[in-house]
Amino acid sequence: MSRVLVADDEAGIRKVVRDALERAGHDVETAGDGEEALARFEQGAFDLLITDWNMPRMDGFELVRRVRKKSPVPILVLTVRQEERDKVRLLDAGADDYVTKPFGVAELVARTGALLRRQSRSEQTSLARWGDVEVDREGRGVRKAGRAVHLTPTEFSLLTTLLSKPGAVWTHKQLLAAVWGTTAGVTSDTLRVHMGSLRRKLEDDPDRPRFIRTEPWVGYRFSPGD
Amino acid sequence: MTPNLRRSIGYPAAALLVALTVGLLKLFPGLTDSTVALLLLLAVFLSAWAFQSGPGVLAAVLATAGFNFFFLPPLYTFTIQDPRNVAALFVFLISGLLIGRLSALSRQRLTQVEAERRDLATLTRLSQAFLADTNRESLLGVVVDRLRDALQCRQVSLWLARDGGEIAEVVATPGTPVRQDLVELAFRQGNSAEFPSELGGTDIYLPVPVGVQRAGVIVARGIQSSERMAEGCAVLLGLALERERFLRLARAAEETKTSDQMKSTLLAALAHDLKTPVSTARGAVENWMAEAGASEKAQLALEQMKALSRRIEELMEVVRLDSGIARPRREVVSAGELVEAAVFRFGEALQNHSLFIDPPPAQAVVEVDPGQLTEALGHGLENASAYSPPGSSIRVVVEAGEKSVCFRISDQGVGVPAGDRERVFERFVRLSSSSVVPGTGLGLSIARSLVEMNGGKLRLEEAPGGGTVFEIELPRASR
Repeated sequence: MSRVLVADDEAGIRKVVRDALERAGHDVETAGDGEEALARFEQGAFDLLITDWNMPRMDGFELVRRVRKKSPVPILVLTVRQEERDKVRLLDAGADDYVTKPFGVAELVARTGALLRRQSRSEQTSLARWGDVEVDREGRGVRKAGRAVHLTPTEFSLLTTLLSKPGAVWTHKQLLAAVWGTTAGVTSDTLRVHMGSLRRKLEDDPDRPRFIRTEPWVGYRFSPGD
Repeated sequence: MTPNLRRSIGYPAAALLVALTVGLLKLFPGLTDSTVALLLLLAVFLSAWAFQSGPGVLAAVLATAGFNFFFLPPLYTFTIQDPRNVAALFVFLISGLLIGRLSALSRQRLTQVEAERRDLATLTRLSQAFLADTNRESLLGVVVDRLRDALQCRQVSLWLARDGGEIAEVVATPGTPVRQDLVELAFRQGNSAEFPSELGGTDIYLPVPVGVQRAGVIVARGIQSSERMAEGCAVLLGLALERERFLRLARAAEETKTSDQMKSTLLAALAHDLKTPVSTARGAVENWMAEAGASEKAQLALEQMKALSRRIEELMEVVRLDSGIARPRREVVSAGELVEAAVFRFGEALQNHSLFIDPPPAQAVVEVDPGQLTEALGHGLENASAYSPPGSSIRVVVEAGEKSVCFRISDQGVGVPAGDRERVFERFVRLSSSSVVPGTGLGLSIARSLVEMNGGKLRLEEAPGGGTVFEIELPRASR
């Protein structure tokens, strides 16, 4: 059972999220604004933080920044904003994923599950497995349907970066910094080319990728499925 | 002492000064020749200092003659007994002339330096006064009085160019009207013109420079100060006017920005207030379905909830477009990304149709706001799915021409009659044939606004076989 902290100023939303997560077997606590959420977060050990963006006293953006300074806990943000720039800002501040209101409960539960699984796998083995793909991080070997797949060093580095936070969205900037060590001179285009070739090697249908997903204008997400 | 007065009394005064000195020296008969000579040179020095070089020369000549006549033996004649005295007298004359010249010159320099210092102080005061005025009204309110004081003139009139290019008097001190033809000439040619004034001094017509252009013309009548001073004033005024204009532009920009920020904040709050209840209701229905099992009624509520959220989004988009804050932030993106993003975001609407996407050519690159174009393409996809039968196919094709990139979304629906293909872009216009489909009639109008804002065109065409083609044409960008 995972402990989830939900921060939203709307009692209705708190109730909906609480019901959905409790049904999925999680232990839920709620807070009505950012300051209360921060105080509660500091008191108890939580496996996941779900926060609204627009809140009185301290908004979700500030809460994400403060929590991220202290803890690597996965953070999911609820937002009404459609603007991709806002989402990028949020992710760069330390959020792992976002759900745009009005959201479907099933989607929320699925995203929550993906982020929590990452948490429970924190003492990661060097072997990762999803679908018919196996990645041996230490041996730097990748197999699909039992057959060895050759990845370039950049592709391998991209893949292990994505694997390090399953379910989370990586912004272009974050990926460039993690894989190339710099954002100068490398563009989202370069990233797109390497992602494309990674998909061709690992996805069954590279045009409709199941695992390495694009978040348009924001970045990429690795969702290992169930 | 004015220069005129000094000139008219200079010669007699210099002569008188030398005569007085000679008379005074005659009262003391015991004086040696050299003492007499030195005191006479002092008189020459003073004459030249007070009355400038002409009277100085006269004083030197008179002093030489007086020295010879009254003091060198034989007395009271111009003859000279001792040949050594001839040389002495000659040296005396040369010294007198030189001292007079130097004295006059240094006095002149001193006067010049003082005048320049005064001009500089005046210009400094003027520039400080101009800098203190941050709006046009207060600047123009006192400008002519300040210029009149600075230029020491009788009358000042300021003419400024209007937007149309013609020039008109905006403010003037009391006095007789100035000549408009001369003002226009100075303004057109950019050269200042001077005339002797009936008020004394000169009348000057001075263009006010602003960069290589001219803002207007200053007319100063009966001016006493130098032309350089006048030009300095004109330059200062040009700078003050230009500064005031920049300040005004900066303030306007700041106001627009603040008001845009306020609108954005209000809209975000409105979106939050509208979407939160729908989110809650939708979540509650979904939770209820998960606990009590799906029912037809709950499913209906859920469908309507989803439709309602989409309507709210459309409405918010219209408000954003109308409020003028939806300015595109353009970047170079490939058509492939745009199509992928639109399908990603609006794909749910297409679940009852077969979607075919021809891979867009690599050279299909455009410079647009990615979010806005995704939204526009999304409306095209939604439209195609809403107005074509379930199970039919929707095709997305991108073509890159020499100069443009064309996105085409075609469906196999009933199509739009040729006569209605423009009308459907008007707000709230829905064709009678489409009354069975839920919607507000805003989608196409929003899509067109978004496309046009990004420099493109949106139109509907007839698809081969009867459906509709939703076509966006954008200028092709280069990587």
